[in-house]
Amino acid sequence: MPMTDNSAGKVGAAPEGARARDRLALLTADNASVPLPAGVQAITAILLAALLIALPWLGLGYRFLSIAITTLYTAIGLYGLGLQFGQAGIMSVGHAALMGVGAYASAILSVQLGLGFWTSLPFAMVLSAIVGGVIGLPTLRVGGQHYIIITFCFCALFVIVLTNGGTFTGSATGLDVGSVTPLPGINFDKLSNNYYLVLAALFLALAATYLIGISRYGRTLRAIRENEQLARSVGINVDLHKLGVLMVSGLFAGLAGVLQLYYLRHISPTLFGAFPSLYLALMVMLGGARYLYGPLIGAVIVNFLPEVLNLDPVDSRIAYGVCLLLVILLLPGGVGAGIKNIYCALAGGFDKQGGGSNGRA
Amino acid sequence: MDIFVQQLVNSLSVASVTILIGIGITLIFGLAGIVNFAHGEFLMVGGMATWFMVGAGMNFFVALVFAGLLVGALGFAAERCLFRFTLNRPMNGFIMSIGLSVILQHAVIRVFNEFQKSITDPIGLVWTIGGVDIVAMRAIVVAITAVIVAITYFGISRSRYGMALRASVSDRDTAELMGIPVRRYVTGVFIYGSLLAGIGGALMISLFPITPFTGSVIIIRGFAVSLIGGLGNVGGAVVGGLVLGLVDGLSAGYGYPEWTDAYSLVVMILILVLRPQGLLGGTLGPKAS
Repeated sequence: MPMTDNSAGKVGAAPEGARARDRLALLTADNASVPLPAGVQAITAILLAALLIALPWLGLGYRFLSIAITTLYTAIGLYGLGLQFGQAGIMSVGHAALMGVGAYASAILSVQLGLGFWTSLPFAMVLSAIVGGVIGLPTLRVGGQHYIIITFCFCALFVIVLTNGGTFTGSATGLDVGSVTPLPGINFDKLSNNYYLVLAALFLALAATYLIGISRYGRTLRAIRENEQLARSVGINVDLHKLGVLMVSGLFAGLAGVLQLYYLRHISPTLFGAFPSLYLALMVMLGGARYLYGPLIGAVIVNFLPEVLNLDPVDSRIAYGVCLLLVILLLPGGVGAGIKNIYCALAGGFDKQGGGSNGRA
Repeated sequence: MDIFVQQLVNSLSVASVTILIGIGITLIFGLAGIVNFAHGEFLMVGGMATWFMVGAGMNFFVALVFAGLLVGALGFAAERCLFRFTLNRPMNGFIMSIGLSVILQHAVIRVFNEFQKSITDPIGLVWTIGGVDIVAMRAIVVAITAVIVAITYFGISRSRYGMALRASVSDRDTAELMGIPVRRYVTGVFIYGSLLAGIGGALMISLFPITPFTGSVIIIRGFAVSLIGGLGNVGGAVVGGLVLGLVDGLSAGYGYPEWTDAYSLVVMILILVLRPQGLLGGTLGPKAS
């Protein structure tokens, strides 16, 4: 953003008060499209990957690892939401239901047909994608806020259908599944192996998000987000792209749902209702939907905050309600934007590098 | 037939609460473009405040007024401290309102507890009219709602302030150029909507027990009502509330009760998809970003 460069230029000459204001502007600037140097991106990626891979060996205990797994599969679902909201600008508050479609599809396949984790995974993902596309049909007709309400309705409807589904969906008690079918030499009953399974899926999601972000497809999506009319007038098939990104988002959600199912080994309708959906929306905003690591940051904050602060559930909910308000008021781009801006301020502003659009923190 | 009439009266009293919350939402969304998810929580806070005051020995109808004022003040604070800053970024306002609703919900749990609360029927009379038993409180709820709807409707369609309000909804910039203090109207509408939510909460607890989680259930009906009728359209909210209330009440009496919630959701999705401008037509709300 040129804005950032201008205010960075002013900092040196401005008097104290204005300088503080400029610093604040630097921190809150919208920088999602500012590219970082390739080296920095690579180093961040390697450090993060190393940290995540080393996590089970740090001796942090069973509970920590459990929360870590929860965080990671939530993050996978969030990458789908991040893609549709951050890139294409379509918000949904029914995303947990989409994860639920994947989880229930896999569980029902397991209960009825005896399919295991690996064989049911593709079906579950494809089904989630299709459902994502079908729920997405109204976006072609109605505006963003109407669509939010529709997704919320879908979510409530999904829970009602599951609850009234009799033995097929296990009603309110839900369904149980066995453990992940072992690969040769790897038994997924062990918690750390389950962690690596989820981690591998997260890396896939990250890679896919990154590739979409730098590709022509990602640029098209951003064009639609910024100005739908204009995108349409330069010949972009807006409807197809919107449905497409919702289906991709559905794929991610299905993957996350199946991982959740096989980690918990038991699912019930409440896991996929309105509250989990709202929390997903909250996490993605908290982290910053437009940043490569934003959804992951959001998931980490929301899942680990209660642990770190050692709060009881009621207080922790209040705490992150307050966090959310503060983030939205002070850092409208999410924590991801804040981190990137701090880095940029420390690195002494940027040299703007060409016109590349792979700028994601 | 008697049972039908009884169901009808019951549906009407349920619809009343929905209409009250729907009017608040339709005005706030229609004018300020704020999707306030915490509106249901405002209603719940109103109900809880009424429960507390009635428990402390206050007359129900006095408590109702205080609950309305309290929640109105809450709305004022929320608008001034939070939503004012996100008027040009509706999505951020929406996310903040989720945060606010989480905070209010758990603050109520912290102050009281998470169990359901109820008050005894403040009137405690049953009228028998032509062989139909009507609980007096339900009739009073319907009457209070009717008065509020009438005041709101004529206030908006006839008064000078209502005209300015409608001007601000239909074209904000031009209204501002004509000297209408649009921001002040946004605040005013927010307070008024919250006040109605507080009264709605008080009326609701006179009919059913409520829990700290009631707000998140009722909010979706509130949105349904306002969207079905057409945003910013008070008459539409009334029609929407009646449609939903009747679908609910009658399906509970005749259809499959476990699917009661599903009917209204399906009706709502269908109307949203087929007639995004609502049954009676309204603004589409400020353009979503």
